[in-house]
Parts: sequence; structure tokens; C-alpha cells
Amino acid sequence: MSVVWSLVVLGVFAGSIYGLAAMGVVLTYKTAGVFNFAYGAIAMFCAYTYWKLHDAWHLTAWIALPLLLVVVAPVIGLLLERLFSPLSGERAEVQIVVSLGVLALLEAATPLLYGGEDRGLQPIFPRSTFRLGSLHVGWDQLGTLLVSLVLGGGLWWLLRHTRFGTATRAVVDNRDLAGIIGINGDWVRRVAWMVSSVFAALVGVLLSPSQGLDVYVLTVVVIYTFAPAVLGRLVSLPWAYAGGIVLGVVMSLLTEWSSSGTVADLEASIPYLALFVLLVVLGSRLREAGLAVRPVRSAPAPTAGARRGLGRSLAVGTPVFGALFALPLALGGPHLGDVTSGVMYAVIAVSLVVLTGWAGQISLAQFSFVGIGAFTVGHLAGTHGQTFVPAALAGMAIAVPLGLLVGLASLRLSGLYLALATMAFALLMDNLVFNRPGLTGGYTGITVPRPRLGGISFASPAAFHELVVGVLAVVVLGAALLHHGPVGRRLQILRDSPLAASTLGVNLTVTKLVTFAACGALAALGGALYGAGQRAITPADFTFSASLQLLLLVVLGGRAVLSGALLAGAVYSVQLFPLPITVIRYIPLAVAFGVIFLARQPEGTVATSAGEARRILTVLRPLPRPATVGRFDGSCPAPIGLRWAPAGTARGGAAAVAAGPGAPSAAPGTATALAGAPASVPVARATAPREVPSVT
Amino acid sequence: MSPEPEPLLAASQISVRFGGLQALSDVDVEVRPGEIAGLIGPNGAGKTTMFNVLSGLITPTAGRVVLAGTDITRWPPHRRGRAGIARTFQRLELFARMTVEENLVAAWEASHRGGVFGRGRADRRRRVAEVVDLLDLGPLLARQAGELPTGQGRMVELGRALCTDPRVILLDEPGSGLDAVETARFSAVLRAVAGARHGEPAVLLVEHDMALVMDVCDRITVLDFGRRIAVGDPARIRDDPAVQAAYLGGADVA
Repeated sequence: MSVVWSLVVLGVFAGSIYGLAAMGVVLTYKTAGVFNFAYGAIAMFCAYTYWKLHDAWHLTAWIALPLLLVVVAPVIGLLLERLFSPLSGERAEVQIVVSLGVLALLEAATPLLYGGEDRGLQPIFPRSTFRLGSLHVGWDQLGTLLVSLVLGGGLWWLLRHTRFGTATRAVVDNRDLAGIIGINGDWVRRVAWMVSSVFAALVGVLLSPSQGLDVYVLTVVVIYTFAPAVLGRLVSLPWAYAGGIVLGVVMSLLTEWSSSGTVADLEASIPYLALFVLLVVLGSRLREAGLAVRPVRSAPAPTAGARRGLGRSLAVGTPVFGALFALPLALGGPHLGDVTSGVMYAVIAVSLVVLTGWAGQISLAQFSFVGIGAFTVGHLAGTHGQTFVPAALAGMAIAVPLGLLVGLASLRLSGLYLALATMAFALLMDNLVFNRPGLTGGYTGITVPRPRLGGISFASPAAFHELVVGVLAVVVLGAALLHHGPVGRRLQILRDSPLAASTLGVNLTVTKLVTFAACGALAALGGALYGAGQRAITPADFTFSASLQLLLLVVLGGRAVLSGALLAGAVYSVQLFPLPITVIRYIPLAVAFGVIFLARQPEGTVATSAGEARRILTVLRPLPRPATVGRFDGSCPAPIGLRWAPAGTARGGAAAVAAGPGAPSAAPGTATALAGAPASVPVARATAPREVPSVT
Repeated sequence: MSPEPEPLLAASQISVRFGGLQALSDVDVEVRPGEIAGLIGPNGAGKTTMFNVLSGLITPTAGRVVLAGTDITRWPPHRRGRAGIARTFQRLELFARMTVEENLVAAWEASHRGGVFGRGRADRRRRVAEVVDLLDLGPLLARQAGELPTGQGRMVELGRALCTDPRVILLDEPGSGLDAVETARFSAVLRAVAGARHGEPAVLLVEHDMALVMDVCDRITVLDFGRRIAVGDPARIRDDPAVQAAYLGGADVA
């Protein structure tokens, strides 16, 4: 009993930091509509900055900490606000991609700025302990709890009992309306971003001494807090905090039974399991921020996501594949292998283009399916001596039910919540499946043989290269044919208007499930090749980070076009080349920047560059003569006359603005309406006086 | 009067409750073969709710929906779409990033068995061409649907509904956003469409534009506060005191 009790207390201490992080995530979501996937990366970046200030430059904590919390973190918050504010009203997909881009940017920039090796960070609170009953509690634990309580309570008080709080709630409720009544939404959002970043900095500084200062660890640990954030439906701060505490307690209690093995894996999986289950259970009750203020449907750019002629794709694709087939004549040895890896990567990327670009279902778990394919082939073809094709087919068959599982989640979730669910799925696969040494060989991994098909061995680099290029050619051609036919239309109508599609006779459930299963199977096929290409595979090849990198590269290449998959493969293979170390180190940074800039362009690099080139040419053309522009001063002969009565709008009731032919004026405190009824339909107007309010 | 024909689509005793709000109570709506039926009522009367019940987007708390003798109350929207109920939306729901032609083709494929595998291509071409002729969509075929003005968009939505070979078409405020000329054209097209193939498709429309309703409808059902307060031909509806009261806010207006 006392053991349980002490575990609960320790859990509360540990959970308080999750609660703090969860509140930071919730804060920007509810005020700015941005779910910050980069939250952990910000925490990590701030922890490194603190290390630089404190441990490298030897500033005392009394200077370093305020510098971090008052200058560095708020500046990061402001920069993020600047980055995200033009994106409000964009589809969820764009914001997700940008925020993942920021995550990648910080992960790439931190080693460049501060050096990549692991560091130890001095805790800001003393390490010594005191006794609480029979329990030894660290001062750092107590300090963490107090900091999170004070900050959480302070934030709660700020939002409940101050003018800023009222303004925030007004902005959260209705951004546009808040603007109309004179609340500066930008200001509210800026403060929210700054506060959220300060919380992140504290999370980083408080967690790093125990977790170790590492580029990836903190990023992933902060993902723990997404479950509590979702528990508060991403809008409730108290629920987020409480969820964090509960999470801490549950994980602490599980340590009672675990030191290793299944329970330990399960313990590490609890946050992801909680996230996945919460998302699926809350399902339809989760609303996307900003959907209430759905943007006026802007006419999409004519080319955006449009399915262009098949002929053109063939004209571009044929020489590319010709060159790839001919490559072994010119290139040999390890360089050829690097290109082959890129080609395999492109096969995997096609599965994501179909799923995310065409079907509009964002997935952060694609490499989990790749892993399934690779390990299945490794076991069946390697250990048990089966031939390659049945083994690859088996891998694809295993991927199907898992694809259906994610597909089931997609039936209840979309946009951000689907992205979170696929992320949770990927992390669960990492912890529960790929971590089993019996299945995957643990850290050492397993070996995968090169395939033999019909008596022909594809063991040599050149032969294997030809095989992989052949598979990619078939996959790309098949996808292109599907895309330009009924299947492509079916996926497109599901993106453009699922409502209309379903009333026309499309079974949304079946279509989504089939899409997820098919894309999972295709990724597993890519995985079978990947395994054979690498020869030795370990679970580390198929983690959530790998899925994330795939998504980023596909966005960079163009998520809605097959050429995007090929470009993703090309970038992947460039990374493998023995380039100078300085170049290698900057590639992830360049990719991250590219992703952030291209997030709004589903056609990615090539189409965007072409479009820009066209625009530059257009800019050089002479302008037509400018048309005369009328002003709204109430007296112009414009078809709509507007006259504001400023005295009436400031206080003492608003004056309604009347619109119609002519230029009527609205007197303060009155409402004037002028119905513009065409002469031919007088009946309709005569019968609808009920809707006109009587205002005197 | 000839004996009343069997209704093609009939909703009987429909009740819908959203939490504490009784959106519809015991409402009957019928659409007979070949007719253009109207569903009118003040804002909040439950017209769109009734449409959502008919097309399967909402399951009613009580009541039955019957299509040509088959009970379809529990059918999901896509099954109804395939069985011959097509609808348009108050706010245009075109496939914005496709051309008009692709919108029509996709609608045919969505509603016909095997369409997604490219089966029945010849039938598809024939039907799309018919619809294009009927609605005069020829000049628009290559246009991006998202770029069309509302009037043409409504025409494309009607065309998309027709491509499903519907038995009943539900039109949700087809006149909203149209000017007088477009409205007149729309009603002319509607009359040409309704009942063109052996009494099918029948049309049920929700509309605010009384002129359009009185002009095209053979029979009108009036809802107010989720109840049916009148049903009959346009002349009778126009003179019905209950309808006048509903529209004029209960005041006794001569």
C-alpha cells in the first residue's frame, strides 16, 4: 500500500511536467488554431540554448534562465506566430505540414548551432532530496511541481479574471467577430505563442537533466503530452493539466511491475495508446479549430491537384525511367547502390502520394508498413528459406489488416486528428512490434537476402537495381493509369466534397478502408525491396522519424503528383552520397525550409518553380491602363452605396449599414434595410415580412 | 380527379430530435411520379432537416421513408444514391477542382455498379451527353467547377444529379443566388426534366423564392416549427390562412 502511495506521489511530480507541456500545446491550438507538432523540438532547442548559456558560456543560472525565458523563448514564439498567422484558414493539412517542417528545422538547426553530441544539463534545482513521510523526494521534483502549478494557475487566472482573458475567449469564440468589436486578435495570438514557448522552454530545462539532452529524445517525450492535450479536446487547460498528472501517475504505477520486457514496452506505449484510443473514442466530438470560420471558398488555382493529361506524364516519365534503367552502364559500386535506395524510396513514396496527396488522408505511419514488409521478407525469405515473391506477398497481406486498422480510425477522424492518430499508431508499432527482439532481432536486426525470381538471381547490384527500377516503373505507371481513370476521380471527389460524393452513391467507409489497405500493402512491397536492398535491417530503420522524413520529402517533391514521389527518392539518394560533410549537414535544414515554403503547394518543387518562372515572365509584361477606382464615401455613383455613421458604431448601439442601389444613409441607433428585389418576383418579398426585424 | 397514384418517395410520421430541439414532429411528405413537389416554410421550419432525412444524412427518431414500396429508413446515403435518390445542396457542393465534364462523369461512376472499375463506359458517355444537351452545359464542359458563378454551378449540380439516373431529385434551394433570368431558365429546365422518362425523375424542392415555387410546383407541402401545416396545389396554398399566418408571423393580415 505504501509502495503504491509513494508511486502515486512520484507520478504526480512527473506528471506535472506533462501537464505544463500539454497546456502549452493547448494554448496555441485554442487561440491560433495551430497544433504545434514542433512543441517538443522547441523545448529541445531551448534546453540546448540554456546549455550554451549556462554550461558553455558559464553564465550563472540567475542570468541564463531569465535570458532564456524572457528573451529567447518569446522571440521563438513571435517568429512562430509570424510563420503561422498567414496560414489561418488554410486546410488543416497545410498547418500540419508547416508545423512538422518547423520540427524538422529545429532538429536540423540545433546540431549546427550547438554541436550534435549528447550533453548533460545541470538541473536548475538542487539534486538533493528531502523526506516526505517515508518517501525521498528530490528538490528538483518538488520544484518542477511548484513551477508547473504556479504557471498553470497563473495562466488559468489570466484567462479567467483579466481583460486579456476575456479578449482571448472572444478570439477563441469567433476570431472575426472579436476583430469587429475591437479586440486585436493578432495581439492575443502573439501573447499566446510567447507564453506557449516559455512553457516549452521550461519543459526543456526541467526535463533535460533526467532525460538527457538529445536532439530526438525531448521531441518524442513531449509527444507523451499530446494525449492529455487531446483529453482536454485541445481546448481545456485544466483538463490538459489534469490529464498530464494522471498520465504521470499511471506510468509511475506501471514501474512497480516492470523493469524490462513486455510490461516495460507497454509502459512506454501508454501515452501513445492513450492518444490513439482517446482520438478514436472522442472521434466526432473533436472539432477542428477554424472550421467554424470556414474560409470563403477561394477558387483553387486551376492546376492545384488537377489531374493532367496522361500523355504528358508519359512524355516526362519515359526518359527518366530510360535513364534509370541505363544507369548501371555508367555507374557502379556503392554509388549505384545509393541510387537504387532512392528508387526503392520512391516506391514507398508513391504509396504516400496516393494516400495523402490524392485521397487526402495524412499519414505519419507509412514506414511502419514498410517495416512490416521488410521484416516479413527477412524472416520468410531469409530465415525460413522461402522465395522472395511469396514472402513479399505475405508482407503485403500482413500490412492489409493493419492498414484497415488505421483506416478505421480515419472513418472517425480527419485532418489534424487523423495525423495524430497515425503518429500514435507509428509510435505504438515502434514500441510494441518492432521492439520485440524475437520478431525483429532487436538492435542487431536481421538480414534479408536479395531476391531470386524464376531462377534469375538479382544478387548483383546492377541486377537488383534493374529489378527495383522495373518495380517502380510498374508501380508509377499503374498509379498514373488509376489516377487518370475512374479511381482517380473517385479519390478526387472524396477530397472535394465527401458529402456530395456519398449522396451520389459512393460508400465512404469502403473507399477509405480500401485506400488505406492498398497504400499499406504498397508500402509493404516497398519495404520488401528496401530490406533486400539494405541486406541488414534493424527496427531503427522504420521508426516514426522515418515516417516523418518520408512525409517531409514527399511534401517537398509534391504530395499530389507522382513526380513528387520520384523527387523524394532523388533527395533521399542524394543524402546517401559521400558528399562533403558540410553539405550533408545542411541537407536536412534545406529540406525543412523547403517543406515550410512549399506546404501550400500540393504539386511541390517542380510545379512551383515552373509557376514562379511563368509569373516572373508575366511581371515583365507591360500593365494595362489602371481602371478608375471609386471610394466608399457614400456619395460616389458606385452600385453599392455605403455610409458609416461613426458616432453610432462607437457606442450607443450600432447603425446598420444598408446596401442597395442608390446611397442611403443610416442614422445612429436605427436599422435601415433596403431590399433589392428584382421587379419580376414581387410575390416572394411580399410574403416574407417575418424575417425583417422591427426596429424603431 | 383520377385516383391518386402510388407515391414514388414517401416519408411518413417523421420526427427528428436534436437534443432538446424537436426539429420535425410527425411530418408526412410525398412525391408522386412525374410531379414537381415543393417543400416550403419559414426559416427553421425543418425543411433542410427533412431533406437530410430523405437523403439519409440524418436518421429520424421516428417514422419511415419509403422509396417505391421499399422501406429505406435505415439505408445510408450512398445506398439511397444508388437506389435513385439524388440531391443538390443549398451551398454548392461541386467537385471544385474538377472540370464540369469530370463532375458529370464522376457522378455517373459513383452511382452505377462497377463505375469505379470503368464498367459501362458507353452507357456513361450516352447519359452524360444527354444531360449536357438537356441543360445546355456544352460551353462549360472544360471549365473548372470551382470557378463557376452560382447560377451555372446550380445547373451543374442538377446535371450531376441527373447523371445518376435518379428516380427522385431533391433540390435544396435551387433558386438561391440566382437572378431573375437565371431563375426563369432554371424553372423551364426543371419542367423539361421532371417526369421525362415514364414519370421519372420526380422532383422535390425546398425553396424560399415563392415565385419559383408557385410557378413550377404541382403540389406544395408547408412546414412550420417542424410540423406540416398545409399541403395542396399552389392556388390552395396561397389562400390557406394557416400558411399566411405562418409567413406573416401569426398576425391576422387580410
